[in-house]
Amino acid sequence: MAITKEQLDAILEKYPAKVAKSRKKHILIKDASQESQIIEANTRTVPGIMTNRGCAYAGCKGVVVGPLKDMIHIVHGPVGCGYYAWGTRRNKAKSEDPTKNFLNYCVSTDMQESDIVFGGEKKLAKVIDEVVETFHPNAISISATCPVGLIGDDINAVARAAQKRHGIPILAFNCEGYKGVSQSAGHHIANNILLDKVIGAGEQEAAPAKFAINILGEYNIGGDGWEIKRTLEEIGYHIVTVMTGDGSYEELKNAHVAELNLVQCHRSINYIAEMLEIKYGTPWLKVNFIGIQSMIETLRNMAIYFNDEALTKKTEEVIARELARIEPVIEQYKKVCNGKTAFCFVGGSRGHHYQGLFAELGIDTVLAGYEFAHRDDYEGRQVLPDIKPDADSKNIPELHVEADEGRFRLKMSPERLEALKKEIPLSNYAGMNIDMAEGKIIVDDINQYETDELIKLLKPDIFASGIKDKYVVQKMGIPAKQLHSYDYSGPYAGFNGAVNFARDVSMGFSSPTWNYIVPPWKNQPLLIGTVTEEGVA
Amino acid sequence: MMENEMKSCRNVNENPCNMCMPMGGIIALKGIAGSMVVLHGSQGCSTYMRRHIAEHFNEPVDVGSSSLNEKGTIYGGAKNLEQALDNVRRVYNPHVIGILTTCLAETIGEDVERFADEYKQKNGLQDFPLVTAPTPGYGQSHDEGYWFTAKRILVCLTETAPKHDRLNIVIPHISPADIREIKRILGLMNIEYTLFPDISDTLDRPHERPYTKMTSNGTALADIKTMSGAAATIQMGVTVEDSFSPGKYLKDTFGVPLYRVPLPIGMAGTDQFMETLQEITGQPMPASLAQERGRLLDGMIDSHKYNFQGRGMIFGEPELVYSITKTCLENGLHPVVAATGSRNARLGELLQPSIADGGEKIHILSETDFCHIKNYGEEAGANIAIGHSGGRYLEERAGIPLVRVGFPIHDRVGGQRLLSVGYTGTMLLLDRITNTLLENKHKSYRKKMFEQFYQAAN
Ligand code: SF4
Ligand code: SF4
Repeated sequence: MAITKEQLDAILEKYPAKVAKSRKKHILIKDASQESQIIEANTRTVPGIMTNRGCAYAGCKGVVVGPLKDMIHIVHGPVGCGYYAWGTRRNKAKSEDPTKNFLNYCVSTDMQESDIVFGGEKKLAKVIDEVVETFHPNAISISATCPVGLIGDDINAVARAAQKRHGIPILAFNCEGYKGVSQSAGHHIANNILLDKVIGAGEQEAAPAKFAINILGEYNIGGDGWEIKRTLEEIGYHIVTVMTGDGSYEELKNAHVAELNLVQCHRSINYIAEMLEIKYGTPWLKVNFIGIQSMIETLRNMAIYFNDEALTKKTEEVIARELARIEPVIEQYKKVCNGKTAFCFVGGSRGHHYQGLFAELGIDTVLAGYEFAHRDDYEGRQVLPDIKPDADSKNIPELHVEADEGRFRLKMSPERLEALKKEIPLSNYAGMNIDMAEGKIIVDDINQYETDELIKLLKPDIFASGIKDKYVVQKMGIPAKQLHSYDYSGPYAGFNGAVNFARDVSMGFSSPTWNYIVPPWKNQPLLIGTVTEEGVA
Repeated sequence: MMENEMKSCRNVNENPCNMCMPMGGIIALKGIAGSMVVLHGSQGCSTYMRRHIAEHFNEPVDVGSSSLNEKGTIYGGAKNLEQALDNVRRVYNPHVIGILTTCLAETIGEDVERFADEYKQKNGLQDFPLVTAPTPGYGQSHDEGYWFTAKRILVCLTETAPKHDRLNIVIPHISPADIREIKRILGLMNIEYTLFPDISDTLDRPHERPYTKMTSNGTALADIKTMSGAAATIQMGVTVEDSFSPGKYLKDTFGVPLYRVPLPIGMAGTDQFMETLQEITGQPMPASLAQERGRLLDGMIDSHKYNFQGRGMIFGEPELVYSITKTCLENGLHPVVAATGSRNARLGELLQPSIADGGEKIHILSETDFCHIKNYGEEAGANIAIGHSGGRYLEERAGIPLVRVGFPIHDRVGGQRLLSVGYTGTMLLLDRITNTLLENKHKSYRKKMFEQFYQAAN
């Protein structure tokens, strides 16, 4: 099913003219006859539109830094920001030493009016002292929320002094929520500090085992990372660190020894991937652990990179065995799912990653998009030179890295590297658009109103998104699948994850509950008036 | 004996027990029919609060944001806020808009009241109900945010009105089920009322066809306008500071007599509400409610042996903590900790008389966090926790089972359906508490008996 330009215009017409003009640039109807379709992304959110986007702090502390389990993450700011981010991402972690797993804690400086007036540096310093005394963490992070930057607290100075006092690394993140236009700014800020202050701080000079890799942009939501590790370790890979799901400061500091970096979520971690290549000569491979075919392709690409006969053989063995095991199970679910359609609007990479898995189940993705992605996540990295920095992106400091004299090491000859790049997505991401079928819709930063209208037009059978839109969608009579928190389920990555996902999605379709609900379009004309008329008239 | 430990000497807030001011403001505004809320500040706050509220109520929670960014922090945010209002009006066609501020807007000194006047002027919207409430997150907790915003709604919308017979029923932040129960009781008493603010439908909507973004339920604007002419205000809010009190405002400004009562939770608490209703209206208590009262009493007697073994730690919003603590006391369940993350002096003052007569110590904690609640509770041998889901860590780390009540409840479904008010609601709450004590006891019963009598004897 597709929609026409006219239908799209009719939706946008409800906006004030300026807003309509701006939103139009964020929506594409896939047209393969055009050489490149430009989408506007990573620009300011229209005020008052129910966006799903969050803030830089959410991207920094909430996404990238927060999962590091052996650190205490201090939120420097008023209590709300800390509370709302408490345990809300289901990034799981287990530790050999249970006294060094602090993921369940929410630690805030709880700034009061007087701190806003007189500054919060002293309080922050005392909080660090208390935290060290109580928890003895391996390291500490300080994330600044909005007021901190405005009142001019120098959290870097506080961190430096505290680091001297306590002899453990204390990292300061200036990720005030007003920076940039979404979570994305926070990813970048987090990437910079982790690369600058953590990676390379370890003493290892070489990996302790063969086929050493890092997994970047994998956050172990619902145990995804554990399922991925299960397969990779069986094949023979040595995982140095995962950034950052179930990750730790202790592991991350030696990430420089890996032979290859795998990039799962391109949006949140590509900065580190790029900088690691410059600094240590480690190439990165765009992978996708979601979906059976993507998983297989990922494993084969990795084998191609390492070019080792035994490894390749083992890869194929594992693939064959896993396929034989899970295919019959998935087959059952396919019967339920086949012929259905989906909206897939999530974050900065899942909007793309899940499409293959949907397709394997026979579900057609008719609309997809990201909340906080950049143009390269849609159009591919080749557009990077065309993206002009604007006032918002200029506010995020760029870290300039150079090759590390002692540790930079080419992992293969430049010739082989170039040849490989033609074969596998090495240091490249082709983006989502290329995988979208003709006539399908791509929406950047979709909001509540557009969601409602597009649902009425396209009538998807399932909507994969987050908790804020979940309940509206369900009120409209459509099953929703939370792809941020997995509705307390998971893992969805890897081979077993695909089975879990198929089961959960099938459940969405076949639960008898839905028999009591007839979606509106089954017996009513589409588009019941305009939104304005739907208000409390 | 009582101890009123106020602010702790630590600086760190380890696992907070309270949320920030605009969060409470959103809840209050959601109780007004046809309302939309815009948070003036950076968008992260509103996104976080939307998901925070949605996860509790399992409902869509639309809250706009002026999406201020770095530039706005330098040049002021009026332009963004203006756009936000334009877009919200256009897409949602609300009948009331509430503007709340966040830390960011307050830190840069935004004057939303002046902005609102100018906006109305500029757009020819002189009569449009626009409510403004400065609610810096660092100012107070979500509890004060709720009360303050409720008061601001009255300040902005209530007009002088002719006297009428309706009662104003001003309620704290309680569950939709509780609100419906209060309405049922008022209905049984044949009382005409304006219940304010009323989230019973807006945040707990039935599945309906077709789905509309807005519902006509919630406290009606017309009723809010005339709360000034009511026969009296009953405010279920004894812990509320005068400066935030909606009832006090109606009394001082329009001379509406004010009756402050606690939430009708517990025997004495519900009795007090019923007596107040009877006193104001002269209506007797209907027989059916008298029967409910009798059943509660009967149930309390049946459960007293079990409840008497309970040692509770109670935490959450001050009003709820007060009423539940009193309920525990009337059932012989000793509250070893009564705690709130909010800065509230009244909670301690109010609990004082009921525990001054030589009973065991109660730690009354204000502006506290779960770290302290846990430490005090464990030390005093607590065996049950009563409060919102932030306390799940007490369960996980200290093995103290949690009876979920209040807001937020994120790790279970049905927070919006928890009924705890009135005689019947009290009975349900008490059963949840008693059964938790029983369940916990049975879990370890055999093992304990074995250790105590068998192992000890051998
Ligand atoms: S504490 Fe302030 S900055 Fe944080 S979420 Fe609340 S209003 Fe926003
Ligand atoms: S105050 Fe800033 S950092 Fe905190 S939630 Fe709001 S936008 Fe994010």
